[in-house]
Amino acid sequence: MKSSPPRGNGSASHAVAVDIGGTFTDLVAFDYATKNVTYTKAPTTYDNFADGIATCFSKADLTPAAAGAVYHGTTLVINALIQRRGAKAALVTTKGFGDVLEIARGNRPDPFDYHYYRDEPLIPRERRFEVTERMDPRGEIVQPLALDELDALAVELRRSDVDAVAVFFMHSYANPAHEQQAAQRLAQLLPDAFVTASTDLCREWHEYERVSTAAANAYIGPQVKTYIRRLESDLRKGDFTGVLSMMGSNGGVLSTERACTQPIALVESGPVGGCIGAAFYAQALGFENVVSFDMGGTTAKCALVEEGRFAVTSTYYVGGYVKGVPIKSPVIEITEVGSGGGSIAWLDELNQLHVGPRSAGSTPGPVCYGRGGTEPTVTDANLLLGRLNPANFLGGEIPLDVESAAAAVRERIAEPLGFDDPDGVLRAADGIIAIATVIMSGAIRRISVEHGRDPRDFVLFCYGGGGPLHASALARDLAIPTVVVPPEPGNFSAIGMLLADARLDHATTFVHPLDAESVGKMSAIFAGLEAEAAGTVRKDFSPADVIFERFAEMRYRGQRHNIKVPVTGLVDVAGIRHAFEEDYRRRYGHGDAQALVEFQALHVSTFGRLPRPELSQLPRAATQSAVATRPVSFGGRPVESQIFQRSALAPGFSGVGPAIVEEYGSTTVVWPGDRFEVGSMREILIHCTP
Amino acid sequence: MSTVLTPATETAVDPVTLEVIRHGLASIAGQIEANITRTAFSPHISEYKDYAVGLVGTDGYLVAQARGGIPIFVADSVGTAVRDGLQIYGIERLHHGDVVLCNAAAVQGQHLNNVVMYTPIWAGADGKTLLGFFAINAHWGDIGGAAVGAGTYRSTDIFMEGLQLRSVKLESRGEPIEEVYRIIASNSRFPEELLGDIAAQLSGCLMGRDLTIGLAEKYGIETFLAATRLILERSEQLSRAKIRQIPNGEYSAEGVMDNDGVADDPIPLKVRVIIDDDEMTVDFTGMAPQRPRGFNSGRHGGGESIARLAFKYLIGIDESANEGTFRPLKVILPEGTIISASDDAPMAQYNAPIPTTIDLILKALAPAVPERIAGGHFGSHSSLSFYRSRSLGRPFKSSDSGHGGWGACATHDGGGPFRTMSHGDTRIVPIEVQETRVPFRVEEFRLRTDSGGPGKFRGGLGFVRRYRMLGPCLAFSNVDRHLTEPWGVQGGRPGVPGRITVYKKGASEPEVLFKIEDYLLEEGDVIVLETGGGGGYGPPEERARELVERDLSRGYISREAAERDYGLKLPNGR
Repeated sequence: MKSSPPRGNGSASHAVAVDIGGTFTDLVAFDYATKNVTYTKAPTTYDNFADGIATCFSKADLTPAAAGAVYHGTTLVINALIQRRGAKAALVTTKGFGDVLEIARGNRPDPFDYHYYRDEPLIPRERRFEVTERMDPRGEIVQPLALDELDALAVELRRSDVDAVAVFFMHSYANPAHEQQAAQRLAQLLPDAFVTASTDLCREWHEYERVSTAAANAYIGPQVKTYIRRLESDLRKGDFTGVLSMMGSNGGVLSTERACTQPIALVESGPVGGCIGAAFYAQALGFENVVSFDMGGTTAKCALVEEGRFAVTSTYYVGGYVKGVPIKSPVIEITEVGSGGGSIAWLDELNQLHVGPRSAGSTPGPVCYGRGGTEPTVTDANLLLGRLNPANFLGGEIPLDVESAAAAVRERIAEPLGFDDPDGVLRAADGIIAIATVIMSGAIRRISVEHGRDPRDFVLFCYGGGGPLHASALARDLAIPTVVVPPEPGNFSAIGMLLADARLDHATTFVHPLDAESVGKMSAIFAGLEAEAAGTVRKDFSPADVIFERFAEMRYRGQRHNIKVPVTGLVDVAGIRHAFEEDYRRRYGHGDAQALVEFQALHVSTFGRLPRPELSQLPRAATQSAVATRPVSFGGRPVESQIFQRSALAPGFSGVGPAIVEEYGSTTVVWPGDRFEVGSMREILIHCTP
Repeated sequence: MSTVLTPATETAVDPVTLEVIRHGLASIAGQIEANITRTAFSPHISEYKDYAVGLVGTDGYLVAQARGGIPIFVADSVGTAVRDGLQIYGIERLHHGDVVLCNAAAVQGQHLNNVVMYTPIWAGADGKTLLGFFAINAHWGDIGGAAVGAGTYRSTDIFMEGLQLRSVKLESRGEPIEEVYRIIASNSRFPEELLGDIAAQLSGCLMGRDLTIGLAEKYGIETFLAATRLILERSEQLSRAKIRQIPNGEYSAEGVMDNDGVADDPIPLKVRVIIDDDEMTVDFTGMAPQRPRGFNSGRHGGGESIARLAFKYLIGIDESANEGTFRPLKVILPEGTIISASDDAPMAQYNAPIPTTIDLILKALAPAVPERIAGGHFGSHSSLSFYRSRSLGRPFKSSDSGHGGWGACATHDGGGPFRTMSHGDTRIVPIEVQETRVPFRVEEFRLRTDSGGPGKFRGGLGFVRRYRMLGPCLAFSNVDRHLTEPWGVQGGRPGVPGRITVYKKGASEPEVLFKIEDYLLEEGDVIVLETGGGGGYGPPEERARELVERDLSRGYISREAAERDYGLKLPNGR
């Protein structure tokens, strides 16, 4: 890992990451000259996000001129899609297929929802237009593209004032010529509109998923383009001469130019930062397999990181599978459950205890915030168990009200459950945490077991405000032996962005049997994709190094679902078959040495190595503080526990739980008997006793 | 079953542990379901989700089930098979590592493609405590019989429909029984695909068993068993609470199936529903007698499953079903009807009357719970299968599922196109994929204008799919609901039923068809499937004008329909 300053002019000595979240905008700035690191936070400014960024810069005593590189993650795209605040977009498609976007796959994912219906498509029927053209599955032209129809259509589109146009044609994955021709023509005729073709985003078959991706890209395109251009110009006004890069959902950064043409690549731009950070720390600490676990106010998210790599899913559902819109764009595989600090604990009509998915959010927030919340939450339960310090929450910015939290838990949970002894409130609080834990461990089990992994082989790497608070309980439930809490867990997503590489992903449908001839074709296709991607990455970032990873989507002949097998460096049938079978057996516990194997698609990930700070330089400077004690409840019993301030724990420090480590934005819980130590990068390592 | 360990006194389970175990069981079923979907070979399993994953108790009754899978299996299609095995073997002959199969018509009462596989779950220090059975029901693509994949109207008894396996062990103490594998493989037209599906089903059963043992041992076996009993009790209470919200009374509805695909006479369907405080009874007296052709199902797979499905749609409980859910539901079902047919009756099209019968049970309750009951759905399978028999070349079979409109309800327009009430997360196979496998080119795939029943809320639309044949193959289809249209409720009007139109190359007139089998299509022929729409809710004159105008501008309704059904006055020439 090289610690060289980023590009920019001579005075630009900082690398800066900015993460815009739902509540706060976080900034982390690393000074290559002094090795100092600065963290600032400001409320997210919804009318112009750049204002919040400006506030963060000034709080950090920085001007954009000092930044050689700015890495930026934002929830802009996902919010625009979920809140349906996108552009007035139109769809241009093959004659006869205008309704593919609306019919979708015709499924009801919630089988017993008698009144299930899908939300309206992003582009309504009156703005979906058909033109004469048709390809067959081999990419041969059945009917040529009717250019005259296209020209007439452009007139109509201009008259109806659309801001964006998505172009999608049947079988364009096999031959994008018509789609590209139509998109270019429309871009010429409609210079003010955002025009996108499905094959610019995805070269795989499945018409609904591809048209849905193109529609989503058009829907958010104008907004993202405006946002990025404005941010760039605001930064330039502050004499920024460095490079602004956007955080992509695939875990790498991309140029603003690419982000403006493929804004859908930013769909999970926010949460991926943490996964990248987890991957780097895990590698630096020598852990091969890590579950990254991020718990915030409304949800908990987890992802698998193996040997510094995360799984990337190729179909992502905006807003979840039940009603969501699919996007064929690489997104780090993150499993999310509705369990966060603000998740509400409640009893159903049969007095069964539930936690979430409803959340008190930040307003009114948990009862203990004293902002009008009346329903007990996970945070209230943690407070009652002594795990949170009422006087030191967010550095004391929010004083917590223990009495009202206790009253809420007593009235709404403990008494109705018949827990009316003096310990009833603690038992109820313990129950709330137990249920939140089982929901979160279920999510971790799902991602690991579905990949054929045993969670016990992983290290639990936790961050976000609530991650370190719950990690040891989760580790116990999953029999995970080791928990790692990185420095600055509350700002960890922004730290991760500072460490990101440039990344591009390409995929193409490749339906062939696994034999020598296909493997030859495969190698040629990979080489072509790599040359193209390397050119783009070099042009955008001039990286020190460009690295490729190859994957093949494969299956036994006759199966309907594929697995994505890493095939980097494999150029022969036997080697590829072996890799497939190993992976298959691991995931599903069985395999078949006789059955024929076939390819379905090829993927290449291209990484450009960018300069980044050393991990050991990232924590804040150490301070001194006295050690206190207070009772903390474990397993229903209050135990006198040591209370540490994180900034006072120097590398080499070790101790035994019960203990609590407090810091700005997060609290780490160490269970009785668990040994913990502070490592060279100021990470806390907890060894959980089963 | 005297050797089953049941605690002498009920072990107390605290509410938190109970909830944790309930989550744990749901999580196990969900994990196994995900694995089945990903490893199965046949589209019936991976795309249609024609399977069910469940944990069955020591007595053979369903304790927990995965959320996904196909609704028709939710009514405990796995428990019946386990109970048959328990009767035949007794628990003393069901050892750790034994895996049993059952698809017998006399047991499940459905077409023979639905095969339940299960394994006992023995736990405890000495492995002598039975926790129950881990069971998976899956649709086997082809197990012999007269027709490819068993889709036929023509069989006259069950023996023409394929291989029956009545509680037969596939594995014994962890070892495969080769002979049974050979019997299965040599009775299927597509053994390679079937053995792949069986491997997926088997590994799901074994993995589910091990995960269940892990969960039980973590909290203690007695606690686990007590918790499973409590879970059923809670579900029962929840069902009873929901029934209590429905006014007491007797409610009824009737309709017909158009025909059985061979004979021309309509098939009467008749249901009566009795709500009595916290119990609901479904009385099927008056249902059509068993047919000579394959529209039949047995008592369990037919009438009882239908009643349970309708009940589940009605009460709309979020959590997955178990035996407790259905304890307050009684079924009156005379012998020998099409949904309580004899063991030897043909059952190849057992599922054809099911969606409409579910729909009728719900319709009966429309006066009782008008805010809950939607208009009728398109209600017939409406699938169009393309296949080749040996006479036309290498045999294949490819099903394009029919998705149609659902009924409108008290708060919004009907959804869809979706598949029937027997289906759930059943996805349309992409056209881009189909065109690589079947000799056709799709020329049009769009929503079917005017197919939704008019109403204050409009019924959902069906679709139109037009195929041009590029080579010869045979077609099978099952479109119904003409005589009993997808009805409207509360003054809403019916949706338009589905149909098939064939334009034979060179023929002057198109042919309109509904149920076809072995219908020869040749290069240049065009076949169009139009699926039905759903029924409306409330009088159309109460529909908001802006919604009528929106529907018109989107082409969901035609100009004529806007004027005729909604009284919209349109300026000339618009």
